[in-house]
Parts: sequence; C-alpha cells; structure tokens
Amino acid sequence: MEAVANKELETDIEKKDEDNQDQTPSLGKEATIEGLLYVAGEDGIKAARIAETLDITLEDTCVYLENIKKRYRDDSFGIELVDYGGTYKFLTKREIAPYVQKLLDLTRSSNLSQSALETLAIIAYKQPITRVEIEDLRGVGCDMMLRKLLARGLIQESGRSQAPGRPILYEVTDEFMDSFKLESLSDLPILPDYSTDEESESLFSE
Amino acid sequence: MAFEANIEQFSGPLDLMLHLIRENKLDIFDLDVVVLCDQYLEYLEKMQDLKLEIESEYLVELATLIEYKSKKLLPKNSAELEDDYKEDPKDALVKRLIEHQKYKEVSLKFQEAYSERLEQMAKPLSDVDNFRDDTDDVLYDGNSYELLKAMNRILRRLKLSRPVETKLAKKEISVDDRILVIKARLKDMNESFDFDVLIDDCHDLQGVVVTFLAVLDLIKDSLLNFKIGEDDHIYLKRSVN
Repeated sequence: MEAVANKELETDIEKKDEDNQDQTPSLGKEATIEGLLYVAGEDGIKAARIAETLDITLEDTCVYLENIKKRYRDDSFGIELVDYGGTYKFLTKREIAPYVQKLLDLTRSSNLSQSALETLAIIAYKQPITRVEIEDLRGVGCDMMLRKLLARGLIQESGRSQAPGRPILYEVTDEFMDSFKLESLSDLPILPDYSTDEESESLFSE
Repeated sequence: MAFEANIEQFSGPLDLMLHLIRENKLDIFDLDVVVLCDQYLEYLEKMQDLKLEIESEYLVELATLIEYKSKKLLPKNSAELEDDYKEDPKDALVKRLIEHQKYKEVSLKFQEAYSERLEQMAKPLSDVDNFRDDTDDVLYDGNSYELLKAMNRILRRLKLSRPVETKLAKKEISVDDRILVIKARLKDMNESFDFDVLIDDCHDLQGVVVTFLAVLDLIKDSLLNFKIGEDDHIYLKRSVN
C-alpha cells in the first residue's frame, strides 16, 4: 500500500515540476489562494499581495477571498477566514477555544488593563492624536502607557502635529485591528452620544 | 460608612469623579460641584488614611475642583460676567466627564472583541527555509518596535517548538557556599591532597570554576597551601593552624 502511495507521490511531484515550468498550476485560483493563506498562517496576507502573486486583478482576488470566507463560515469547518485590518488569515473558530484549552492544558492569561483599553479607544477614534490630547481626555499622564502600547505594536507614530513643539502623533496599527477584530476603522463601535438632554436620564442608569 | 478605597480600581481622577457622581446620584448635566468636591476630598483623605500613595494627577484635579467650589461660593459680580464672557469652568468639567464616560463605555466593547479574538488561534508561518536562498543579503528598514515585535514572535515560536512539558533544573552554587562545603570536607581528608578530589562532586564547568575560586579564597586566607606538581596537578595542603 505504502509503496503504491509513494509512487503516486513521486508522479505527483513530477507533474508539479512540469507545471512549475509553464507557470500554470492545475488547481483553481481559489484553491491556490487557500493554499497560500495556509502557508502564511498567523502572518496573513494582504489581498494586493495575493493579486500580485497570482497575477490577477485585485477585484478578482477579493471575489475569490469572499468566496473562501463564505465557504468556511459553514458549520462543517472548524476554521474561518478573517481579514482584520485588511490582512487575510485563517483562524480557528471561537467555539473551538474551550477544547483547545483542555487539549493543551491552558489557562487564559494576557489581558489589557482598563487604562490601556481606554487609551487605545481614544487613539482609535481620534487618530492621529498627540500625547497631550490623550492626557487631556483621560486626566492622567500617558507616557508609560503609550510606550507599552508601542512596544506591543498596537499603536505607531504617524508624523508630527503642526502644534507648537511639533509633538508626535499616534495612530493604531494593523495589529490593533487584528487584536480587536476590526476589518476597517469604520467597524469601530459607535461612540455613545450624550449631547442631547433627553438622554441625560439614561446616562448612569444601571 | 466603612468603605474600601482602592486606587487601582480607577483609571484616573475623571474615572473617580464619575464613580462619585454615580454613588451620590448627582446629575451630571447640572453638576453640584460643591458636593462632588467634598466627596472627592473625602475619598482622597480615606486613601491617605489607608497609606495609599495618591498620584499627582488626582491632586491636580482636586485643585481644579476646589477652585470651582470657591468661585461658586464667592458672590458674583454680574457686570463683570456680562462684560467678559468665558466658558463656565463647570461646563468644561462636565464636558470632560462626559467624554471620558463615552470612552469608558466603548472600551467595554473593545474588551469584549479582544477576549473573543484571543480565543481564535492561527498557525505560525510554514517553515519555508528549504526554499530560501541563503546567499541573498536581506536589507531591513524597520523601526526598533518592529524589531521588538519580530523578536517576540520568534521567542513565541521557539516556545511552541519545544515539547509541551520540559523541566530544567539548574543548581547554582555561590563561592561562599562552596567554601563552607570544602571547609567541612577538609576535616575528614588527608593533610595533602589533589585538587581533583575536591571536584569529584562537580558535574559541570560551573561547579569546577566555583570550586577553584573557593580554593583561591582559602589559599588567600592561609587555610590551604598549594603546589603544582610535575604532572601539572594542583596539590593542596592543609595549613597547620
């Protein structure tokens, strides 16, 4: 049995070599993209890069990607395709998590502090924003917090403001988009609006 | 009313004020700064009683609150008010509090998304080293944070590539400890002996080095004398005293 399988494998490889020579993989584009995504793993790939690799248009690539996404959404798959921050990657579905923990004997640990979350929220909605502006909104110094967030790759510097002293501006990164399941900044939850007096009663009601 | 004060609970003075407003059922749009100021001060005093360190930001806001309060208590000069209109400092505070409340509320949604995302896992990039041409020079133009991120990723992968359960036992002995051990052993040994005898319980280079340093110390303290034999062995001899 095994020998037969090996033989088949060999002929497969030969076939693949031939294919490589005329640069036409016999698989469909969608399947090829699926394979690329599998290889890229957690790094993920941007749609533009896939289009470039397969030498197809960006529009076509997005159609293929949407197809794969739709296909994997089905309950018969344990993984799904996401494109948080415009980077496509395969992730296990959330429903798997309890079993993963059991299998590998894990306990959830790393979490972001309330201060970190608030700082990130302010930057995400107001970006690009300077440190002083963030501190004004939060009422506390943010120097260390910004450094921590920079080190975690959740925010990055994006040039300098025209204000006196030309302070550094900050914005969120693709890593932030991935960590908070955002496909684009327009996916941010809508900020609650308390400006009208009618709503004043609902504020703080528990 | 006994009440546990914990500064960690609040992400800043604005957060504390929001808590106090809620606690005392104040109307944020028609804020009673006097009550808020008193409560705020009381809270800081309680923290002080508990010997908790109060961050300077809390004091800055306290100063602002007291300024509002004192302005409110002083009789207003109406002519001046009309003459030179400025934004009511109270309104400015209310605006800040509301802004803060907005971000606080929305950060809960962020927290939710973050936890959800943690439950989804990806595979590392496949091993493609076999396809790579090592002779290519790789030019990299990233910043130090990208480098840090990349290094973290490497460390994480390294951790993943190890067996799930590993036990590493490393025994570190200090020179001082070693001296004590050797001193104890000296009593039961011949007056002169080979250095090799002392290292027969050492399993690694570190042990040998520490033993050697310990012996040097003992020689310095004239507890031992030494002689290098023709066979390049170190012979040690106990001192008479």
